[in-house]
Amino acid sequence: MVEGVRAAALVDIGTGMVVRSVGDVNDDLPAAAARLADEARLASHALGPARPGGDLEELTLVTDKRIHLLKVLELRRGDGLLLFVDLDRSLTNPALAGWTVGELAPGLLA
Amino acid sequence: MPQDAVSQGTVPQDAVPSIPVSRDEGCPGPGPDAPLGLLGQVLRECAADRRSGTLRVLGEPGGTVHIADGGVTSIETPGAPGPEVVLVRSGRVAESAWAAAFTAAAADGRMAAELVRRELVGHGELEALLRTVLADAMFTLASGEVDQCRMEPPAAACLLPLEPPAEPGWLLAETSRRHQVLASLPSPVGHDRDRVTRGPAAIAPLDGRQDEILALANGRRTARDMAFVLGCGVYALTLEFARMRESGLLAVGSRRQAGNSTPGRPDPRAGRPVSDSPVPDSSGPDGSGPDGSGPDGHDPADSTTGPGAAPALPRRRKANPGQPRSGPTAVAQGGASALLRLLRPGPVADHNAGQ
Repeated sequence: MVEGVRAAALVDIGTGMVVRSVGDVNDDLPAAAARLADEARLASHALGPARPGGDLEELTLVTDKRIHLLKVLELRRGDGLLLFVDLDRSLTNPALAGWTVGELAPGLLA
Repeated sequence: MPQDAVSQGTVPQDAVPSIPVSRDEGCPGPGPDAPLGLLGQVLRECAADRRSGTLRVLGEPGGTVHIADGGVTSIETPGAPGPEVVLVRSGRVAESAWAAAFTAAAADGRMAAELVRRELVGHGELEALLRTVLADAMFTLASGEVDQCRMEPPAAACLLPLEPPAEPGWLLAETSRRHQVLASLPSPVGHDRDRVTRGPAAIAPLDGRQDEILALANGRRTARDMAFVLGCGVYALTLEFARMRESGLLAVGSRRQAGNSTPGRPDPRAGRPVSDSPVPDSSGPDGSGPDGSGPDGHDPADSTTGPGAAPALPRRRKANPGQPRSGPTAVAQGGASALLRLLRPGPVADHNAGQ
């Protein structure tokens, strides 16, 4: 269990579609999910086709009130799934949240 | 954008009606806020009345929507690859492994459970894939021409139904979102009309998917054609095409004429092999029809024969409609339950509950 989670969603990277969502989501989630999928895709492209450092695994966005974790669950030639977790920054920190989500993430597709 | 005509009736509960809707050339096409015309209306009625049945959508590409208690369990359409094609052609499941699972479980309606049992795909992964494939099929169905909708009694269970079924409202809202996204693109590409070719900026190396697209961009394939070859979504490829077109990697070589017969894919439920890409023919509205080449320019290299061609998927035996399905519903529960574990216990709702 991850402290501070406000909402979580599985997002299809290729389409930006919200596959599943739970928690305190708002009407903007579909549009936000599409933007997040674009961010993951662009970040992956930025690594270059050779991927000398390996494939993209995670992105973390931190604001003064929130932490947004984007965990790549599956990335296969442009298709894949992204786990988006919206956290209250006052209840957790990026490192702890990232580690805990990372522990839980493999079970989402199992 | 979808070009279906305005509905002229509703669907009686028990009859086997057709909703005869003539094509009204004077009717304006639906804009971004339109409820997706006749198809949207029928699906919303089914949801409100919690109907179960088989909705035949006549038009181009047309297709068949399987409905249970008002929710959509699967869609078959020549407009988009089904879950079987996506699983195998994408390389997630080897063809031999698929064939073994199919032989063991398809007739008993246990295909989903068998794939998971053999560790070919996970519960959550399969649920996510079925939802994305379903949304892709709805997108292509609703983006085409809908001449008529006909509700029929429930047909034999499909091979990989989504459990729990998807709410039509979610599918229709997602389709509308996709239409809005496509309408906002600076270099749009028609998913079933525009044949693409390499653009002036196409130099290697590129991202894996882009390399695949360029290798197949021979001036005869559309996004839909390529989706069947690669085992991916039509909409996702359409987005990628638009991005690549904007950056000069792809160009639109020619445009398939509207009104040409839909390249019909053999109906998987008829037990015929799925070909490498849509084969042009005089297909029926639900995608069934004879194989064959046609005048609308499908690449003759997209075939089940010849070197390098993707092998056909195994034929499916029709399950006994009277036989109760024994597949577990846990396929759909794994991913959602795991997602919920991320949250603290309390009065939070799974926004997809009941879908």
